[in-house]
Amino acid sequence: MKYFQPYSVEEAIEIAHASESTFLAGGTDLVLHMRTGKAQPSGLIDLGKISVLREIKEVDGFIEIGSMATFAELGNSELVAQNAYALWQACQSMGSPQIRNQATLGGNLGNCSPAADGLPPLLALGAEVHLISQEGEEFVPLSTLLSRTPLLGQNTLIRGFRIPITGWQSGFSKLGRRRALAIARLSVAVAVEINGTRVENVRVALGAVGRRAFLSESLGRELSGLELNGAWLEKGVLEVQQIVREALGARASAPYKRTAVSGVFREALASIITEGGTQA
Amino acid sequence: MIEIKLVVNDKPYTLEVEPSERLIDALRNRLGLLGTKEGCGEGECGACTVIMDGKTVNSCLVLAAQANGSVITSIEGVGNRRSPHRVQKAFVEVGAVQCGFCTPGMVLSAKNLLDKNSKPSNEEIGIAMSGNLCRCTGYDKILRAVKIAAEEGKE
Ligand SMILES: Cc1cc2nc3c(=O)[nH]c(=O)nc-3n(C[C@H](O)[C@H](O)[C@H](O)COP(=O)(O)OP(=O)(O)OC[C@H]3O[C@@H](n4cnc5c(N)ncnc54)[C@H](O)[C@@H]3O)c2cc1C
Ligand code: FES
Ligand code: FES
Repeated sequence: MKYFQPYSVEEAIEIAHASESTFLAGGTDLVLHMRTGKAQPSGLIDLGKISVLREIKEVDGFIEIGSMATFAELGNSELVAQNAYALWQACQSMGSPQIRNQATLGGNLGNCSPAADGLPPLLALGAEVHLISQEGEEFVPLSTLLSRTPLLGQNTLIRGFRIPITGWQSGFSKLGRRRALAIARLSVAVAVEINGTRVENVRVALGAVGRRAFLSESLGRELSGLELNGAWLEKGVLEVQQIVREALGARASAPYKRTAVSGVFREALASIITEGGTQA
Repeated sequence: MIEIKLVVNDKPYTLEVEPSERLIDALRNRLGLLGTKEGCGEGECGACTVIMDGKTVNSCLVLAAQANGSVITSIEGVGNRRSPHRVQKAFVEVGAVQCGFCTPGMVLSAKNLLDKNSKPSNEEIGIAMSGNLCRCTGYDKILRAVKIAAEEGKE
């Protein structure tokens, strides 16, 4: 097996183009997959020495996050806590301290497990993914990218993410650890635009309900343009249960997740709706 | 084989490693540092914890090649019988060691916390130690030992 350790993005995509090698970020998924034989790369392109890929910064009304930013770095970022609270919350509960120090947001998308914790918050926050290869660059809404199969071309590098700074409030909650049976895992991220006492717009994303995390457009529509109160929350609970019912159909996990999602949904909203009203 | 350079416990090394070789393998097999333990081999237990560039990582999930250019502290770099680190002293005093398999990783997580934060709250201690599992002691003593070491570190 070949091993490359490039120092620039250009070099990395050149190697990817020329060698059919696999990108290596933190390795918390890939190193395990190599040991179990699930991944058998002919070469590795270690992205760890490309310092621009670690940046988290504000640019022209967006938070730009390099693909190699770790969950620990994101969870310590004031910029993320202020403007992408759901993502910040997901970073606190992901894995363990050691895993958070190593695991990257780019690797979370690259591995794309149904329960990847970074994806529901990014979906709810309206994130775009910056992809780059020898053929060119593009910004793709994450929700669009997640409907592609395969997710990425073999030579395509996830350069990073950008999240619009909108002033929306957001929250995240999950049930179950990584090793918990798939049936016992579930995550919800919600972002809302609140105007006075009205919920103008809503985005709800679910994880571990089906093959990949997804944004529920119907749920967003149903819950937008309403007064923010207890009735709104109860309507949300019923709707989100309906979404889980539709997504899981007759699968064994369906009855459990349909029930569990109401609690997870309420928790995801806990930082937004406090008793007696809304929180700034 | 690829050549990597790294500093382990303040000593510089140049090693030839396999691309798929993990950091824990390089530490144990090439450098003979047997204090780093392999428990689960899957990132769950923290027995293999080392400090890499100021952060705790599971050395069973890091490739040796990824550590190229890094500064590593393993348990051998923390203290010894004659002059134990205050975390190690506290572990012994409190009786936070039974079989001892988890202890090197526990000590490194605790040391790294105290290096960064000399006055951790109980909650901060709990979070810092949450990636290290122990089958024997039931955690109370471990958390108490870290608390005591923290107190001792304040003048
Ligand atoms: C003990 C343990 C606990 C965990 N807990 C959680 C958890 O709570 N929540 C959770 O979501 N995940 C969890 N994980 C899974 C894992 O840590 C995450 O998915 C992590 O984000 C992967 O990132 P990485 O940097 O380690 O990726 P790697 O393992 O390096 O890569 C993962 C995949 O993405 C590809 N890739 C990486 N970067 C790029 C890039 N820039 N461009 C293109 N492709 C790329 C790689 O080729 C590979 O296929 C856990 C893992 C372990 C071992
Ligand atoms: S041996 Fe590395 S985490 Fe268990
Ligand atoms: S003392 Fe035995 S595993 Fe912790």
